[in-house]
Parts: sequence; structure tokens; C-alpha cells
Amino acid sequence: MRTTQLTAVAAAILFTGSLAACGGDSTSDDAPAAAAPMATSAAPMTSSPAMDTMTNFGAGCSAVPTDSSNPGSFAAMAQVPVATAASGNPVLSTLVGAVKKAGLVDSLNTAPAITVFAPADSAFDKIPSAQLKKVLADKKTLTSILTYHVVPEKLAPADLAGSHKTLEGDEITVTGSGMDFKVGEASVVCGNVQTANATVYIIDSVLMPKS
Amino acid sequence: MLRRTGRPALTGVLSAALGVAAAELLAAATRPAAGPLVAVGGAVIDATPTGVKELAVRTLGTADKPVLLGGIVFVLAAFTAAVGVLTVRRRWVAFAGAAVFGLAGAAAALSRPASMSYDAVPSLLGAAIAGGTLWTWSRSRPASADRRAFLRIALMVTGGAILAGGAAKTVERVRGGAVAKSRARIDLPPPADPAKPLPTGVAPGFYSDDLYRVDTALSLPRVDVGTWSLRVHGMVRRETVLSFEDLLERPLIERDITLNCVSNEVGGPYVGTVRWLGVPLAPLLAELGVDPAADQLVARSVEGMTIGTPVATILDGRDAMLCVGMNGEPLPIEHGFPVRMLTPGLYGYAGACKWVAELELTTFADFDAYWVRRGWAARGPVKTASRIDKPRPFARVPAGKATVAGVAWAQGRGIRTVEVRVDDRPWQKAELLPVTSSDTWVQWRYEWAATPGAHTLAVRATDGTGEVQSEDRATPFPSGATGWHTITATVE
Repeated sequence: MRTTQLTAVAAAILFTGSLAACGGDSTSDDAPAAAAPMATSAAPMTSSPAMDTMTNFGAGCSAVPTDSSNPGSFAAMAQVPVATAASGNPVLSTLVGAVKKAGLVDSLNTAPAITVFAPADSAFDKIPSAQLKKVLADKKTLTSILTYHVVPEKLAPADLAGSHKTLEGDEITVTGSGMDFKVGEASVVCGNVQTANATVYIIDSVLMPKS
Repeated sequence: MLRRTGRPALTGVLSAALGVAAAELLAAATRPAAGPLVAVGGAVIDATPTGVKELAVRTLGTADKPVLLGGIVFVLAAFTAAVGVLTVRRRWVAFAGAAVFGLAGAAAALSRPASMSYDAVPSLLGAAIAGGTLWTWSRSRPASADRRAFLRIALMVTGGAILAGGAAKTVERVRGGAVAKSRARIDLPPPADPAKPLPTGVAPGFYSDDLYRVDTALSLPRVDVGTWSLRVHGMVRRETVLSFEDLLERPLIERDITLNCVSNEVGGPYVGTVRWLGVPLAPLLAELGVDPAADQLVARSVEGMTIGTPVATILDGRDAMLCVGMNGEPLPIEHGFPVRMLTPGLYGYAGACKWVAELELTTFADFDAYWVRRGWAARGPVKTASRIDKPRPFARVPAGKATVAGVAWAQGRGIRTVEVRVDDRPWQKAELLPVTSSDTWVQWRYEWAATPGAHTLAVRATDGTGEVQSEDRATPFPSGATGWHTITATVE
């Protein structure tokens, strides 16, 4: 387990560039030999974040595939916009289904810089299945729940603690420090996962807006 | 123990370092592509199976190049250390070992797609220097007992290697500056056939301030326009070599053209419009006489990238060209200076080779271009697409009249209509702003009577042939994304 985590972290640290999407590195002359036709120095995408902001953390990270050729791995996720990234990740399949149902795929993919608190499948398992079914069928409620998990700026771990206004309109409150954070009642199980346009914190409970 | 193998090993490594540095210096001063390290790196990449390579790229990202060069240096160091040790017993090993790595470097340099016979010279010279140094040095033993003498020679060789290496770097930098200067000195002639003036009513943002950059190069090629040439060969009646001046003597066309990347997601940013200046390709090919059986034009860049374009798309009347200028200036270095290809209506990976050095007429049956070997579609026609730029996803919009705006493109076919859908209401036609060509994107806008609440906005375009943009979601791989760009906004 320890080794797996280390490998995952190492992969995330090593991977700073630009791959599957036309995205990435805007400063360097040198581009990686690409696996996909791709671009550098495009508009508002990430440009080689410093290493410390690249490092993900948390016990739950071990559930993320470490094989970098797996589209759900940290390395692969860093290269594509957030909804595309999540769709490759086996621990986020319920969330991805909900995002598709709510029609939020493009919005999440093309929003310039956001933070997503992504409930893992296990978080959805905590909701009674009848209730979950009902929510998934109600686009309006689903949209407000999902947008309650998105903050319209990139939050690095250092900026995470505190209150943040979500896209839904209500605020969420993050407590904790270092590598140990809670979002309301939910714990961050894997934090600071990078995608091309969003920073992702995987959490173990679904957040519910007050309204 | 250390004295027995440590010193001879060091002797081997340092001699090789001197040789490599000398080879790099000669290459930097004459032909950068002939540098043994870069040549071997390129050859290793080519020889690496795609799966392994993609894995390396995924794991290493932009670090793949330093890791690759580091690996080559490591292997070289291990090999030359062994040579150094073996030389103690048999001095001829010095030359045998040097010959092996010299020939490897030379073979790698000659294997590069745009190589010439001279490219073997730096590696062979470097090997001769390394072999000679090791041979001479090993003669000065058994002074191996004399630590001072050993250190003195070691310092001299190391110093020589550092000097040569430093000089190589300096020469590279000066040459880079020379390329920039040669670019600055270019005086592009006016187009014989200028672009139509932009009609009134075009909104800001029609031209892209910063065209997205597609990287096909392991390192950004810096091409001196004075030594650049374009070889046209393969299935043509008359093969030819053209200089930059030859190109500029031909009548130039100037066009506004939208170029996009096949990897762009629905709603993504990798599409842009700029004003291009270039030599039309169809008349040039007609003069050379293309074999009717040739259905593929393979453009090869100075660093060996290959892009395959259907000959039919070049000859069908569209403005396929060899670009020499962008936005009234010589091509920027990162956009393919001095010359790149452009085929309106094809994704960049299938029609827009940068730093082009060769055009080869061949067939799709005979040759798979770079991306095709990696599973992407052999032919890359642009799919009709549209994008909402305003409001931004998740924006908060004041209630009342709001403008929804964006772009749509179907290069070659043009855009006939763009429609916007709010929530589940019927599609509404958007206003199209004027354009002068079917090869550019079309700006559109729609006046939306925004009522409070969360809303979903979708867009779709119909191209000039009457075909509606596909709603089906396709990923960019292998032939371009499809789907209607759909965003949400909250009206307050």
C-alpha cells in the first residue's frame, strides 16, 4: 500500500506536461514526444504548476490507478479537462454518471479554473438507493447538488481551509490543514489531484446545499 | 580495488566525454542535427515501440527528453568505463570501443529522416578524439601509481571536455540568435492575391491573438532560412529542390484561415484564425507533374515529423499552401519558421506540417504518417463544430437581455446556420456575423431574454451543405470530437 501510494505520488510529481489534449506547458521550448497531436501555449489552461502544487495526498489516493497508461491515473488525469479526466477514473463513476445526467460535462470541461470536490463512489453508497435514484432523476436538484461541489477558482492545499462560495451559491466550509481536511462533514480522502482545468479533492460523502 | 578499476574506468569516461563534447561542438558549428546526442535520442525514440513510448510520455511528461538524454549518457558512461578498464590489458580496445560508439552515433545521425552524409562526421571525429585520448592516456601508465600525474591528465581532459561542451552551447545560442536575425531580415513580398478586407460588423476576437501551438518537435527546430530548402520528390515527373527565395519569387496568396487541432474537446480552446501568406501548392505540383496514382502528399519536417495529406484535397481548388507569413510577418519560429504547410479544411495533424523540409508524393497504401502510426485517422477532414464563448460556463448573468455568443466552423463547407437552445425550448437561429471565406470560423450571437434561475445553453451549427453538426458524443481520438457544446449559467 505504501509503495503504491509512493508510486502514485511519484507519477503525479513527474508528470508536468501536456499530453492527450492540446494542452499544457506554455513556457518551455521543448515539448514531450506526444501520444496525441497537441498544443502548447493555448489560452487559459494550466502552465506547468510548481512541483509542490502537483503533489496529491491522502489515504484514498491508493484507490486511484497507478499505471500511468490507465486514463484514471493521476498522470493521465492531469492532461485532460476535469470531466474527461473523471470519466476515466473507476472510483468516480457514480459522479460521472450524475454529471452526464445533469448535462454538466462541457461546463466542467470548459470552465477556465475551478476546484471540484468529487464524491467517490463510496460517498454515493452512503445515500439510500431510493433517495439516490430520485435525486439522479431530478435534473434541477441534481444540478444544484453537483454545483455545490464546485468552487470557481483553483484552490491549492494552502488555500483550502476556510469558507468558499460554490457555483451553486451557498458556501462550503473547509477545516483542517496539511494533508488532513474536512469539507463540512466529508473527509478529503485524496487531495490536490490535477486536471487540465481543475484541482480535484476526492471526498467520502456527498455535500448537500442548505437550500 | 579502486585504483585497479576506478582509474581506468574514469579514464574511459573522461576520454569519451572529451570526444562527445568535441563532436557536439563541431555539430553545433556546422549542422546541429548532426550532434550525436540528439541523433541517438531521435533514433532511440523511433526504435521504441509505440506502447512503451506513450507510457514514457505519460509517466514523464515534459521530462521525457531530459530522461532520455540522461539515459543515453548513462549507457555511454557505463560502456566507456568498461572500455577504459579493458584498455589496461589490451590497448587496442581503446580504438575498438571508440569505433563502436562512433559508428553508433554516425549510424543514428544518418538514420534521421532529413540526414545527409556529412552528419556522420561529428560522431566519427568525436570517436577518433576519444579513442586517441584513451590510447595516449593508457600509455602513460603504469604511472597509475603516480596519483598526481593521473590527476593532472584527468583535469586536462575534463577541462577540455568542459571547454568544448561550453563552446558548443555558446555556438548553439549564437546560431539561435542568427536564426532570429535571419527571420527579422526577411522582407516578405506583397501578395499577388491579397485576402479580402475584413467586412464591417466583425466582432473583436475574429483573429486569434495567440494561435494555439501544436508541438510536433522533440525540441523547437531553429532553421536558418539561408540554408533551408524544400525537396519535392517521389511520384512526380520532375523532382526539384526549392530555396526560400525560389518560393518568394512565386505569386503569393494571402488568406484568413481557421486552423484547429484534432485533440480539441467539445468547446475546447485549440482552434484559431489568423491571416496567412503563402505559395499555393496546386500550381506548383501541377508544374512538377504528379503521378495520377499518387494519392498522398507526405510533408516531412526538418526534424522528421511526417504529416500525410490527400493529394485530392490539395488539387481540389482549396487554398492549400506553403505558408511563409502569418499576420503580416514571417512565420514565428514556433509556428514553423521558415515554411509550414496549411490545408484548409483538414485538422493540423493531417495537413499543416511545420518546419517543412520535404514533400513526397506517395500513396496511403505505401506510407503511414506519424499520427497514423499511432492510431489516428489517415485522413483528417474537419468536423463541423460550434462553441459558446459567452456566457462562460457557470457564469452568473443578470436577468433581462443577455447576449449568447461564440464561434462555429466547418472550413471549406462554411457555416449556413447556427442555432441556440435554452433548456428544453425549441432551437432558435442565432445571428451570423459576416465572413469573407468559408475557410474561417463564423462568429454568431443570440439575444437571450434571460429569466432568473439555472439554465442550460446548447449550440449547434449547420454547414454549407445543409448537414447539421452531429449530436453524438465522440472523443477526439481518432478523428476529432463531436457533440453539441452545452453549458449552464445562472440568471440572477
